[in-house]
Amino acid sequence: MRLRWQRGRIEDPEPGADEASRALEWIGCDDAGDPIARVVRIRGPVLFRWRLRHAVALDDEARVVELRPAVPEGRWLVVVRDRVVGRTRLPLDGVRRAEALLGRGGEASSRS
Amino acid sequence: MARTPLEKIRNIGITAHIDAGKTTTTERILYYTGKSHRIGEVHEGNTTTDYMEQERERGITITSAAVTAEWKNHRINVIDTPGHIDFNIEVNRSLRVLDGAVFIIEGVAGVQPQSETNWRLADRYNVPRIIFINKLDRTGADFYRAAATLTEKLGINWLALQLPIGIEDTLKGVVDLVTMKALIWEGDELGANYHEAEIPDDLKEKAAEYRQTLLDTALSVDDAAMEEYFDKGDVSVETLKRCIKRGTIDGTFRPVFCGSAFKNKGVQPLLDGVVDYLPAPTDVAGIKVALEEGQEEDPANPARIIPAREDAPFAALAFKIINDKYGNLTFVRVYAGVIRSGDTFMNTTKGHKERIGRMFQMHADKREEVKEIYAGDIVAIVGLKDTGTGDTLADASDPVVLERMAFPVPVIDISVEPKTKDGVEKMTLGLQKLAGEDPSLRLKTDQETGQTILSGMGELHLEIIIDRLRREYGVDANIGAPQVAYRETITKSHTEIYTHKKQSGGSGQFAEVKITFEPKERNEGIEFVNAVVGGSVPKEYIPAVEKGIKVQADTGVLAGFPTVDFKYTLTDGKYHDVDSSALAFEIAAKACFREGMKKAGPVILEPIMDVEVTTPQDHVGDVVGDLNRRRGIIQSQDMAGTSVIVRAHVPLKEMFGYISNLRGMTKGRASFSMQFHHYDPVPRNVADEIMAKSA
Repeated sequence: MRLRWQRGRIEDPEPGADEASRALEWIGCDDAGDPIARVVRIRGPVLFRWRLRHAVALDDEARVVELRPAVPEGRWLVVVRDRVVGRTRLPLDGVRRAEALLGRGGEASSRS
Repeated sequence: MARTPLEKIRNIGITAHIDAGKTTTTERILYYTGKSHRIGEVHEGNTTTDYMEQERERGITITSAAVTAEWKNHRINVIDTPGHIDFNIEVNRSLRVLDGAVFIIEGVAGVQPQSETNWRLADRYNVPRIIFINKLDRTGADFYRAAATLTEKLGINWLALQLPIGIEDTLKGVVDLVTMKALIWEGDELGANYHEAEIPDDLKEKAAEYRQTLLDTALSVDDAAMEEYFDKGDVSVETLKRCIKRGTIDGTFRPVFCGSAFKNKGVQPLLDGVVDYLPAPTDVAGIKVALEEGQEEDPANPARIIPAREDAPFAALAFKIINDKYGNLTFVRVYAGVIRSGDTFMNTTKGHKERIGRMFQMHADKREEVKEIYAGDIVAIVGLKDTGTGDTLADASDPVVLERMAFPVPVIDISVEPKTKDGVEKMTLGLQKLAGEDPSLRLKTDQETGQTILSGMGELHLEIIIDRLRREYGVDANIGAPQVAYRETITKSHTEIYTHKKQSGGSGQFAEVKITFEPKERNEGIEFVNAVVGGSVPKEYIPAVEKGIKVQADTGVLAGFPTVDFKYTLTDGKYHDVDSSALAFEIAAKACFREGMKKAGPVILEPIMDVEVTTPQDHVGDVVGDLNRRRGIIQSQDMAGTSVIVRAHVPLKEMFGYISNLRGMTKGRASFSMQFHHYDPVPRNVADEIMAKSA
């Protein structure tokens, strides 16, 4: 199943940075424009609520969620209909994985 | 000289393991870019960059030759660097001033030890790199296996931009994964041209798979490119190239090209890759200003960066000095501003003025005079009086000192004396000039024997120096057997009190020092701590204590080798109002060192080499047995085609003359390389032998 992908939330711009802020998530929508899947960048370690979290990602309401076990920073979490279905090194790989799962009627919860 | 805009300049190095084909590739680059009208061959001894007699005779590169070439409206300053570890200093200083590098990997053996060393050096200086997997025409060549060693040995994220079409003697060309076209060379003769064609059927599936990896990896560095991909299902060649360049510069991935320079296949697309993916001086952050002595890097207050700008005060780094028949040539990389012949600038490292004499753009040993030179370029200057490798030249209005270069420690010594008496002066002058060119060469006089001692990076390094002394300065010299550059250190803490007293009428000498000696980790150097309280040693005498220890540390207590890696803390002492002096405290400190070190568990350290032997399988047993007899510790044995690569850590002392032994053992079928790895304490019996010799 092919989705229409668009940039979701972006990282906070660094003061004085010349370059545009990078995407923190890519959102895949169906033909009606409803979000079906998300590929979300994993960050960490970050200090959040007075505790150092080794790996975090944003959920669909932009809340910070801690991931366990920790995953190296820069990896991507593949989420299809609120379920984490995998982790990938590159965002495009995550996009393909989400589409492949949906193509298979994918409600699978396999992990890479 | 026509002015080239900054964004069209590429300052690149070509580097690799010995015999991976650096000079052969450079020769093709010069041919294709029109700087040379014929192709020189290493085996024929007529290459452009290997211009020294020794280089042509031996078929190796000794110095980094700087050559300027033009390709598709860009100026490429190429530095071809040596592969042999003995001349690693050349790689080091070249990488320091380059904006990008081409790493050549051998298609049969893949990543070899010197490639690893050079790779780490490039990491140190954050040099963006592209990789060329060369010699795919050779028997046993395998692109995919060679590429896999990039992950295994360097742990990098490599990205294939090409795949080979054919292999060994059927190598015809490459698949360009950016344009998804086959590039087929018409024959393998000198200067062969190529044409575009459809990708062969048997490679289509593989090419599609690698193209997908290329897109996934390259587009991940640019959100706008990702959006273009989502909109159109693909991206334009321009977008893809932009992403590859970005990822190459920030080190997200390392693009991989392939071919055979010797068979004239793959060099022109590699040149396109240099122009398309390696940075212009304006694409990199610039050069850091050096921190003050003892100052640590502070992330909250980062070091100042000098960006490549022509309208800024002049700043340049001297990275190489050569003495030839025309005099002293100083190679500089200009980072900011403009210089013109006749201008005067500051040598900010040494704090004196320098006048720029004549300037030359170098084409290996040929030169073209230029009147002015701009930020981003590399030039050789004649007439600088006292500028050494690593010195900064800057405008007096902004006298910055640029980040310094780190030089390796010599591990091997030889004594040298002229064959005739009248050669003494010529030899001293010649050696001083050669040491001025080469920071990895040290010159000293043995205090006891009065002999001149040359310290260098290996047997070959010193052999070349002695040869140059003969050819360039007309001095025939007798040389002693190579000696290992041992060091001494301590293994436990000890506090020593020493009183120096000479009070026999008249003004005497009095000084007492209490010093604690403690071991430090390897390569941490010597550290001095002044912990005197209450003025028991007056402030004005502290430098004398420090000087005394520094001088005495050059002659260790066991066998007279320099003592390294220890901390000494001056905790207390006594002085006399009349009889104390700086000299008395210096003498006391020296004696305190001699006495204290003996009780601090002194040991002798020897250089341990990382040795890699490539041998046919039927000789592996002999090679391993021989390395064990040489006190070697085998690290690994890996198959590479029909050969086995044996890796071991072996003391340098046991490696003298190894090459002839290896040749005899394997009938000349094995080869080896080695490089310094670390210093280790010598075993007791060896220490006794060394001490007996020095007694």
